[in-house]
Amino acid sequence: MGFDDDGEQDLVVYGTPIEREEDTSARKRRAVAEAGQLRALPAWKQEVRDEEGRRRFHGAFTGGFSAGYYNTVGTKEGWTPQTFTSSRKNRTEVKKQSIYSFLDEEDIKGMGGNTLETTQQYDTFGSTATEYARKQASKEQKERPSAIPGPIPDELVVPATTSIGMKLLMKMGWHKGRSIRDAHADSLYESRREARKAFLALSGVSNDDEKLQIDSHKSGKDESVKGSFEEIHASGNTAVYVLHPKQDLHGLGFDPFKHAPEFKDRKRLQKSARDHNKSDVSMRGSLLISNSGQYAPGFGIGALEELGVEDEDIYASGFAYEHMEVDVEPSKTPSDGNYKLKDRKRGVFLSFKIASGSEYKLERFDPPEIPTDFDGRHKFLTPVQAVNNISDLAPPEVPPPEDISLRLLIEGCAAMVARCGKHIEDFYKEKSKTNPQFIFLNEGDGCSYYARKLWEYQQKYIDQQRPDAIKSKSSSDKLTAEDRGKILGEKPLDRSTKLSSSSFPANEAIQLRSNLGDTFVKPLSLDGTPEYQKPFRNDPAKQARFEQFLKDKYEGGLRPANLIPASTMSDADRARERLDFEAAAETIEKGKEKKAMDPLSLLGLAGINEQRFVSSTESEKSVPPRDENSMYPRRDEFEWRPSPILCKRFDVVDPFMGKPMPVQRPRSKMDTLIFMSDSTKKADDIVESPSIEPPHTAVAGTEAKAKGMATLPDIETSNMQRPVDLYKAIFSDDSDDDMDEPVITEPVDPVKTSEGANMVLNRLVAEDFLESLGKELGLDVPPEKPTLPNVLFRPETLPTANATVISRNGKATTCQKVEKESSLDKVEVANASADAPSGNDEKLDLKYEKHELRTKKGRLNIGWTDISSSMFIL
Amino acid sequence: MGPTDNSFLLLPFPPTASHTPEDWRREEAMSSAAGAAAQKLPRTEARTLSGHEGAVLAVRFNRDGNYCLSCGKDRTLRLWNPHTGALVKTYKSHGREVRDVYSSSDNAKLVSCGGDRQIFYWDVASGRVIRKFRGHNSEINAVKFNEFNTVVVSAGYDQTVRAFDCRSQSSDPIQTIDTFQDSVMSVNVTSTEIIAGSVDGTVRTFDIRMGRETVDNLGHPVNCISLSNDRNCLLANCLDSTVRLIDKSTGELLQEYKGHICKSFKMDCCLTNDDAFVVGGSEDGFVFFWELVDAPVVASFRAHSSVVTSVSYHPTKASMLTSSVDGTVRVWT
Repeated sequence: MGFDDDGEQDLVVYGTPIEREEDTSARKRRAVAEAGQLRALPAWKQEVRDEEGRRRFHGAFTGGFSAGYYNTVGTKEGWTPQTFTSSRKNRTEVKKQSIYSFLDEEDIKGMGGNTLETTQQYDTFGSTATEYARKQASKEQKERPSAIPGPIPDELVVPATTSIGMKLLMKMGWHKGRSIRDAHADSLYESRREARKAFLALSGVSNDDEKLQIDSHKSGKDESVKGSFEEIHASGNTAVYVLHPKQDLHGLGFDPFKHAPEFKDRKRLQKSARDHNKSDVSMRGSLLISNSGQYAPGFGIGALEELGVEDEDIYASGFAYEHMEVDVEPSKTPSDGNYKLKDRKRGVFLSFKIASGSEYKLERFDPPEIPTDFDGRHKFLTPVQAVNNISDLAPPEVPPPEDISLRLLIEGCAAMVARCGKHIEDFYKEKSKTNPQFIFLNEGDGCSYYARKLWEYQQKYIDQQRPDAIKSKSSSDKLTAEDRGKILGEKPLDRSTKLSSSSFPANEAIQLRSNLGDTFVKPLSLDGTPEYQKPFRNDPAKQARFEQFLKDKYEGGLRPANLIPASTMSDADRARERLDFEAAAETIEKGKEKKAMDPLSLLGLAGINEQRFVSSTESEKSVPPRDENSMYPRRDEFEWRPSPILCKRFDVVDPFMGKPMPVQRPRSKMDTLIFMSDSTKKADDIVESPSIEPPHTAVAGTEAKAKGMATLPDIETSNMQRPVDLYKAIFSDDSDDDMDEPVITEPVDPVKTSEGANMVLNRLVAEDFLESLGKELGLDVPPEKPTLPNVLFRPETLPTANATVISRNGKATTCQKVEKESSLDKVEVANASADAPSGNDEKLDLKYEKHELRTKKGRLNIGWTDISSSMFIL
Repeated sequence: MGPTDNSFLLLPFPPTASHTPEDWRREEAMSSAAGAAAQKLPRTEARTLSGHEGAVLAVRFNRDGNYCLSCGKDRTLRLWNPHTGALVKTYKSHGREVRDVYSSSDNAKLVSCGGDRQIFYWDVASGRVIRKFRGHNSEINAVKFNEFNTVVVSAGYDQTVRAFDCRSQSSDPIQTIDTFQDSVMSVNVTSTEIIAGSVDGTVRTFDIRMGRETVDNLGHPVNCISLSNDRNCLLANCLDSTVRLIDKSTGELLQEYKGHICKSFKMDCCLTNDDAFVVGGSEDGFVFFWELVDAPVVASFRAHSSVVTSVSYHPTKASMLTSSVDGTVRVWT
């Protein structure tokens, strides 16, 4: 502890000193004893005493011994300090005095009583009226949407007073407690009308509306009575005009259905359907409701969590019983309408006006007129080419028919057709109708032979026509259509159909075209569609339309327009159906690709169309790949290294105990970045023990090169990879380097022990760091005067830096020469020698330069690590 | 690279139930001895444990079978006495759905995991979370204790299996295994091994004693793995609606069990306590029993109205628990 000058302080005292008995007076003791008692007494009995136990007399008129509030200041608050306000700036305002400031309430009453006060005078119905109003208000409140969910306290909405109208009513014979919608309104009608008239005249309301109303009252008794009551009612408790709170997320005045009237239509239908029959599910064949909107019922997610895909309720049954829809058209209560109209008349209704013309117009274009003579079939302008293309695939060899004349005829005909083109064949075909000789063109024996022959001739003809082309083809081996097809994996055109069917060429062309379609466009031949792909089986007409739609979609081409106006269907219906079809077609497509998918599921129609769709899962589970079973299960074994702590926790001996950890390769770019900075930093102080040579990375090597180490070709090999410590990279990089230095510089200064050197160096490092820090902060740090050993211990810098330093010192030639000459293990010696022989002054200069460079380098390091740490965060 | 669509979140809807019980009833097709054993299988519903508000994702007997734990989408764990039907305690702390729960062998601690990417280490009696283990980058599918309740091993959607030390204060994993190619669905721990099944179709056994990783590629996404009671066989529920029995030592495929539907959900399978039958749930709410050796469907019955997410067999008695998406846990005897 403190070895201070004062001898007294050597004493250490614990605890509180014991007081002497005689020090405490008897009075004091008594006071202490009584203090407890006093506190038990009621406040008014308590007496205030000082610490000596004496009572203090405050004066006979100021409380005697007990001076109120326990001898404080006579008020409960005591002395409350007040903030001082200068009266210089805030002058006391001169109050305007009126007579009222001198009169008390009684006087004012006497003067005429112009104070405001509540009165029961006008509460004609008393409690009943309040009750009634309350009921009315709550009823209204239920009907109208409210921004505040839940019941609103009645006090908030009940009108506080009733109007004079009620009083008038009373005078007209109506008395409290009686329902205002009385059954015997009839008998009272006349008198009330009169009263009302009088009232209107009296109150000076010259509203046309009301007059009209009064007139209209005369027409129908019942109605008018009702109306008048409503009037009264309205005046009784003012109908509150409530703007419908905006509960959707649309912008102001935005109509989501502006450009999609079909949805509006649908929505209206849906709404009405919902109103009428809740179980009407067909309307909810909701097209756009995907499952993604469904989340687990009953619970949301945490406030800090994001709503992600994983929150979807994957178990949802698909029955979206009550999907909320945005209420676009607020339901108008009659009173609302009235008010709005009035407001609009006055032009204050939110300054919106009714547009003179609707902005939206449904533009409709008629389908293009198809000329009557159009047959929907393309005529090829160059029949020869077409034939060429078609007949690329040879029909099989067929023995010629026995009849030689027929054979000759066939051959001749084939040659002719080959040479002249298809139209000749057509011509012959026409002929064949009359002449049985040409029957082979269509069917009968010789038909296949004809096909073969035709092909042969065509080939020949082509060969003749384009000999040079063929030559060039053979030479350079260009891609033919088949080759390309083979490469692309197209299936060759179906030859068997050609064989089996009656292959008369005109049909052939069509067939081929369709076959081509098969190869290039994914066909959706509904003839072959299994049952589950007919989504609208229940409705044959719809299914037919669907198939037509599919044809349109996948086959293309022009169609007769007969299907377009689907008679009874409305616009919205058609649009909806089209969307339906699109979705269904897509489903079928996908179902083909991914057989496991349930077609209806994609639509999100799951529950609704269940009866229409049959799950496709059964049909697909049948084909497990056979060869896979033989392949699997497959077993592989690898080495795996459990962590030692895991082994310990499992109570197992670590199988890798004592073995070194595998070399960790830098896993990310960031690691290499750190390493790179390290390597460049270390580039000059080559590790003095090259006996251990861990593998260096090419990245480091190239990086080093980029840093200007190309002048030292061998230096890369010595560039060691070391595990890099982030902390070290920032703070202790130089000390690391310098640790190595003494070994090198020992020949120069053998007296120093390495420990001593380290100490000095560490200090230097700290200084360097501080200095750099100071420079960073913009402070002027005076450089420390270096001593000789310091210089000797710091001969390292970047080679490039070295060069610049040296050039500044005018020693460029020698040093660079030395460096260039130096081999791998000589570099540091060279560095050292570059320093050692130079004069003291120069050394000092050198030292300064280096010093700066070092600080720069340090900053560089920090920069690197900053980057890397930020990358960590990323 | 990333987890493919093969995970159990693949299809966001349940399959349509189009089977009738009769379709699958191929009873008494086996030998009389097996038939007698089959008669003892738990097929009658003893009681329903209802209380979860939403899908129940897992149900587990504790070590001795006196209690059971369930967890589900309502972010709670519940501890029940399945023999009386009493709800003992509810554990609430998870921020998202709880996918798996496991109790320590001394019944003192629980460990649970789920969508909030954390593993909760609970004290059973107080219901407090002792520790939360972080480290998984994604949802955690399964979690287990080791034999000594000192290590928690978890399997996650981030394609890793991680081991956490219960004895240290650190919440970081002591071991991360990231050789999986896809989401890891299930994990099992024996005295010296960690066995995990993944959507990449592999079951990987990490032998700590030998320092070896054994990869059994089944060719189909593995949903759940469970061990036979003699620890020699491995039961893997694959997403091709097949349960496969594998010899653990050789990796040989011993048997395949089919008939149920398992295509898109994470569903459990297990063996009965005498290893005579294989139990598995189906996506249409059925529970299937297969005879172990010859693999016929011994019994099947509709247990739930929807996907049976989990089955757990009593360690000693002929009793079984099933949980389902319909929000109930049922006890069968």
